[in-house]
Amino acid sequence: MGNKQTIFTDEQLDAYQDCTFFTRKEILRLHGRYHELAPNMVPMDYTRDPDVKLPIQLIVNMPELKENPFGERIVMSFSEDGDGNLSFNDFVDMFSVLSEMAPRELKAIYAFKIYDFNTDNFICKSDLEKTLNNLTKEELTEEEVVLVCEKVIEEADMDGDGKLGFSDFENMISKAPDFLSPFKIRDILQP
Amino acid sequence: MSYHYNEAFENPDYHYSETLEIDRREGVSQGSTSFHQNPYDSSPYDSYEDRSGGVGRQLNVPVAIPMDSMLSNSEYSPRAPRSAIPDMNPYGNAHVNPSFEYDSEFPFILQSASNAVDGPYVRGPSDMPNGAGFIQRRPRREADMVFMTPFSLQRMDPGYDDEKLKQEEKLIQNLVSMSSGERTKAIQRMPKIMKEKREIRNKVLVEKTKKSVSKDAQIYCCTQCLYTISLSFRHFKNSLVDSFQLLQPWQKTLKTIGGKFGTNVLSYFVFLTWLLTFNAFSFLVNFSFITIPQLIASKPNNLSFTGLELLTGAGYFKETVLYYGFYTNSTIRKIEDTGPYYMQLAYIFTTGIYFIICFFSLLYSMAKSFRKNFVNPQMYSGHAAKLLCAWDFNITNEKAVTLKQRNFSTQIKETLSDVKLEALKRPVSQKMASLAIHLAAWVVSSGTAVACCAGVYFLSINNLDLFLRGGKTELENQAATLVLPIVVCVLNLAVPFFYSVFGLVEKFKYPRHQIYTTMIRNILLKISVIGILCFYWLNIVATSGVECWESLVGQDIYRLVIVDFLFCLLGSFFGEFVRRIIGTKCCKTLGVPEFDIARNVLDLIYTQTLAWIGIFFSPLLPAIQLISLLIIFYVKKVSLMMNCQPPHKAWRASQMNTVFIFLLFFPSFAGVLSIMAITVWRLKPSENCGPFQGLTSPYDAISRWIDILTSYPSSIWVVWIYRNLIESVHFYFILSIIVLIISYLYWQIIEGRKIMVRLLHEQIINEGKDKMFLLNKLRMLQGSRSPKAGGQQERNLSVSQPPRQQALQTPDSDYPERLSERNERVSYAEPHYSGGVAEMTSFSQDPGGRQPSARGGTSEALALALRARDQAEWEMEEEDFSS
Repeated sequence: MGNKQTIFTDEQLDAYQDCTFFTRKEILRLHGRYHELAPNMVPMDYTRDPDVKLPIQLIVNMPELKENPFGERIVMSFSEDGDGNLSFNDFVDMFSVLSEMAPRELKAIYAFKIYDFNTDNFICKSDLEKTLNNLTKEELTEEEVVLVCEKVIEEADMDGDGKLGFSDFENMISKAPDFLSPFKIRDILQP
Repeated sequence: MSYHYNEAFENPDYHYSETLEIDRREGVSQGSTSFHQNPYDSSPYDSYEDRSGGVGRQLNVPVAIPMDSMLSNSEYSPRAPRSAIPDMNPYGNAHVNPSFEYDSEFPFILQSASNAVDGPYVRGPSDMPNGAGFIQRRPRREADMVFMTPFSLQRMDPGYDDEKLKQEEKLIQNLVSMSSGERTKAIQRMPKIMKEKREIRNKVLVEKTKKSVSKDAQIYCCTQCLYTISLSFRHFKNSLVDSFQLLQPWQKTLKTIGGKFGTNVLSYFVFLTWLLTFNAFSFLVNFSFITIPQLIASKPNNLSFTGLELLTGAGYFKETVLYYGFYTNSTIRKIEDTGPYYMQLAYIFTTGIYFIICFFSLLYSMAKSFRKNFVNPQMYSGHAAKLLCAWDFNITNEKAVTLKQRNFSTQIKETLSDVKLEALKRPVSQKMASLAIHLAAWVVSSGTAVACCAGVYFLSINNLDLFLRGGKTELENQAATLVLPIVVCVLNLAVPFFYSVFGLVEKFKYPRHQIYTTMIRNILLKISVIGILCFYWLNIVATSGVECWESLVGQDIYRLVIVDFLFCLLGSFFGEFVRRIIGTKCCKTLGVPEFDIARNVLDLIYTQTLAWIGIFFSPLLPAIQLISLLIIFYVKKVSLMMNCQPPHKAWRASQMNTVFIFLLFFPSFAGVLSIMAITVWRLKPSENCGPFQGLTSPYDAISRWIDILTSYPSSIWVVWIYRNLIESVHFYFILSIIVLIISYLYWQIIEGRKIMVRLLHEQIINEGKDKMFLLNKLRMLQGSRSPKAGGQQERNLSVSQPPRQQALQTPDSDYPERLSERNERVSYAEPHYSGGVAEMTSFSQDPGGRQPSARGGTSEALALALRARDQAEWEMEEEDFSS
């Protein structure tokens, strides 16, 4: 990569490196991926922090997210403006949290956001129903969905308010050892 | 959390102003919109931030200490309508969730943060009622503080500028004082958007460079270097894990199967691969410690190989390392200078140590599986974790996603079928009838098992007679030896089918129970057949005076294993392939066959038991087993993919796995151990063949070895251990007493923990109720007070506005550069500003009659209380200004 210097300044790369779980090379590769999504919108020169945001439709069509039933939710959770538009910073943030190096706590926070469809800071019944429909491709009957959601809330709701707050969620995943390993996207850095 | 609100609304003074509030809020939102406006950004941590931000502030405003609770909660108000706050309070959280501690993860932050927050100051009077809980929570708050304070920096409230800037400085100081690795870690772990993280980082760096001169450059370089190394090490580790997964070729197959047929069928294959690794290990051990030395010393084999031996295991194989009889009892010494290799000892120690390792690994996996699936009733095995932790974000393949989704809905249906059945109730007469049917089925099934055993026993005795008399051609002899294994296999195949007929009559409450019952019956049958065979081998063959009876037993086991393997292949062919052809072509009502997990797993357990028994008599049996398992794996996989459908009977895969391992441990492995014990301690080995010829029992080899060792002074400790520990009754007596005491202690601890868990659970529920109660009360009170508050509005507006504006206009000459930073932040916030205003106006339009809506009711009530507190706080500020 001969044009390494022209994309980011050294200072910028250091900053990214300190703020994410990526190395310089990976940041550059991420920029490459980001650039690929919309070559005419994303400049190659990022030294002056251009204010470019890619719409959610472009991001969701990345192969890493395309088949993921939560792809849209993931993008929304990391979008700074809340509309699903991702700046490069958000983009890097997203894959940083979804990388293998991110600690459990950080992942938990964002997992909670992802499952919190209506963004009311609670996972309530409607969120669970949406999650379930995403997970099963709407193969279950209405009645089954309601039953499952009731069960989930009954199980995980510790303070009896009928919905899952972050503490409930935390508590739940602290007891589910399998939480950490699936909550990552590995392919992003394969050249 | 509730205590503070309590206090707040008891004091009527706090409820005067509305407009004042709004003003303040506007100011707040202006400054902080870049963060607050985005609902996604208000991470579940928000509340912590605010809390700690408040705490930090109050440090620097001694006057404010009595009002601690109000100060610290002041930021709730702007956010109240947007997010239902009650649960987000740090107090609630920390209390609810003691198991999820942050402090352990952030030890470095804790350390430095605790310098910043001085204990006594943090604890305001209002915290007193909850003193004990507070202490418990403190570390967490401190840990959060480092992260959270920056948000409070963004508030542009003029009154707080100084404190906020100080707060920021403090955070930066904290970060500066850390080593670069720690600092990076801390920044990386902040749940914030990149812009904020970079800002903090930049400030820290500026501070750092200001402080340090060029001499630090080298150190920085070094730490950077170390960091890179650690990073690349992590990468290396990850890729190593990945490549290890590549080494297991079945990993992919397992995933496909899991995706297509669900975890139940997968559990069979997992079990199969698990046995595969067991046998591979066993083969490696036996081959390297027993077979290789023997091969070095062996004589040439002059028997001819015809091919039939592969099936019967007799003939040519008699004179190979396959059987016990071929091994020598002498010592092997190929190179002059090295010590001799005692074949007897090698044989007995290898087998013994293999069994010990097997024992512990089985015990370990059984215990682990039990702990995971049965013991912990608080586990969210059923629904919650399945739902919210289920998705594998790695999957990028469309087909895999569909498979996974299908798998998931099957799982959900599984769990639901249990739930639905729980609701079903039946009358007494029906219960009695079903009980009678169960009883009859049990009698019939055990009767069949006994009959099978008797048949096998007489057949085998008959066979032995034939063999001893001889007098027939070689071919006839060999054919005769095959009768017994074929009969056993036919029984093993036919009787389970007969058992499955019971399923038409017997009705079970849970589908799970039916599976368990069928499994217990089948395992009883199989184990009793093996038991009777063992009796025949150890009591009749061993005492019949046959030349080299151990090899004979080895051949019998070999034949059983081989024939069973062939039957398994035929079973998949006829039972699955032909069945599918019939089901799809001729007789459509039959349909595609289901994959019978229980039957297949029991077959595996049966052959594994045989293989374990055979290890002593035929040390290379694990190799045979290894090959047959490998073939079975691929045959079953293909057959499953081509012919079968997933079982419609739903069951819990995780529990099934535990049951499989348990079955493998208890009747199977325990039985094998007892048979081994009898063989090694009681039975007299054959006179003229095998490593133990001439001894009274195989164990004698060890006693003799010890006798030899006594003459060597250097190995006296071995003799001592043998005499005083292994042979001594007292030692085992003391050992078992110690074990008993320890288990009793553990049992008591478990009981204590159970009580503790129950209490904590109750406490959590009570806290929740408390909260709801207080919120309700608050709402009621608020309903009665709001008109008054509305009346006060005007007055406060006029009073509060001027000082605030004045403060805004005051040139902040002391901190010129910070002011500019602040402006920068305001400009960040600009795009969101209108949103913030819209929200605020919605508040101001709704001054008095706050209708608690269906969902937002509690949060609004809270917001009101908080606002009241904010207002009081503001009044105090005014005093400050005027003085």
